[in-house]
Amino acid sequence: MNLNIRYILAHGWFTGLAAIKSSYYYIIANLCLPLSLLFVVGVLSHGELLPYALAGGLVSMMVTNSIQSAGELTQFRLDDRHQDLIIATKTGPLDYMFGEMLGSFEWSIPSILLYLALDMSYHLLTPYNLVMTMAVCILVTVATLSLVFSILSFVKYTRKSWAISMMLSTLLTVIAPTFYPYTYIPKSVLFVLAILPSTPAAVLEQGLFGLEPMSWLMLVILLAETVVYLFIARYVARWREN
Amino acid sequence: MIEARAITKRYKDGTLALDGVNFTLNKKTTSIIGRNGAGKTTLLRILSTQLLPTSGTASINGLDVVKAAQDVRNIIVSIPQESKPINYLSPLDNVVLYLSARRMRMSEAKEAAEKAIKTVGLWKVREKISDELSGGMKRKIFVAMAIASKSDVVFLDEPTTGLDPLSRIEVWSAIKAIKGQVILTTHYMEEAQALSDDVLMMDKGKILSQGKVGDLLKPFKGKVRVESTKKKSHSYKVGNTYISYIGKNEAEASVMVGDIIKPITLDDLFIKRGVELEY
Repeated sequence: MNLNIRYILAHGWFTGLAAIKSSYYYIIANLCLPLSLLFVVGVLSHGELLPYALAGGLVSMMVTNSIQSAGELTQFRLDDRHQDLIIATKTGPLDYMFGEMLGSFEWSIPSILLYLALDMSYHLLTPYNLVMTMAVCILVTVATLSLVFSILSFVKYTRKSWAISMMLSTLLTVIAPTFYPYTYIPKSVLFVLAILPSTPAAVLEQGLFGLEPMSWLMLVILLAETVVYLFIARYVARWREN
Repeated sequence: MIEARAITKRYKDGTLALDGVNFTLNKKTTSIIGRNGAGKTTLLRILSTQLLPTSGTASINGLDVVKAAQDVRNIIVSIPQESKPINYLSPLDNVVLYLSARRMRMSEAKEAAEKAIKTVGLWKVREKISDELSGGMKRKIFVAMAIASKSDVVFLDEPTTGLDPLSRIEVWSAIKAIKGQVILTTHYMEEAQALSDDVLMMDKGKILSQGKVGDLLKPFKGKVRVESTKKKSHSYKVGNTYISYIGKNEAEASVMVGDIIKPITLDDLFIKRGVELEY
């Protein structure tokens, strides 16, 4: 595997930090749902479940940004024909996806900083938590973007991709235990939901913040999903068609 | 030099897009002309390593497009039909990003991008986001990519479709600045005439004819095109119009009210071959 690091860095920069200047309003838009749910959960639980919404909000925001990035790749493929332009170079599908993942992570930096500041104000953050939280953020970005990219690779019209993205967004950010304690649902349901990368990520965050028992199994699941979803995405990417 | 031998492409739905095409392209600029569905884009996608042929072989400067695809990608640029620059990036950033995909070093990419942006006349808008540019300017960003890459072979799939006449002429000027061999598809005959040394005419997945514009138009020498609403001898019916090719003097002598006399262009080769095949 001969990755095109130059392209990954350039794609990451241009679709990440460099794009914030012209599209900053999307950062606010993507924060609307997790911050609104933070407010609702806080009010309904009289503040008791607020730390859960803080832990899950970060995961939710990373997932939302990843879905949006996968949607952007769909637009690049179907509308802008950017993917075709790149196929005829020595850049492969992994370079292309890693570039978008890097961009998605860079794009999330302002929101990550906001959540870390909120976590600190609720005394949820320790140096160990911080490192582990960053690792979870990276893994959930790679796994989610790969999963959604794979699903959207079968879409032939951009309009359909919007509807699919909306459905996936709800599944990944609301149904998964991002805004409620994972112990509230039966284990069998939890393991079904674990197919969504946001589930192991949220469970890990709740464990790291000391809100619920730590489940190392979920770390294994998240790592496995990251590898498997990336592998699938590599093979379903419409790179050189038959 | 580009060579194709018995290239056939049948899509999964059974559509035969290319039917054993053979050709050699070695002129500076070649236009592939043909109606919608003729197989132009399929051919370009196969030559530019985006699509696998069902059978047959093709090579670019001696490199097989299937077996040595990675090496082919080093020496080609392929600008897809209706491609758009990334709308929130500037022309300069779009070109730099493309050059990084070609594994060019960042400093080298910036320098090459700046030079190419100047060449195509986008220097004044180099920092503007592409969304704010006109259609012609957007297309010129892709021509700048081709120029900056210094590739041996450049494929342009319908580079001016949808542009107004002025923008089209601007893009043509930019295309003329490309140093490598240029293969473009178009259904604007004046575009093929203005840019090419060689024309490849396709229909229904087959090559109908190939040659210099002048050579292809030899059968029409001394003739003009007469468009009439009334049937004339040896006329072709296209819609409700009858088209005939006759000597200039004869046309002027027999002109009727409502007839239109036009000079011969590549359009006429296209019309004549197209109608002959159709009926």
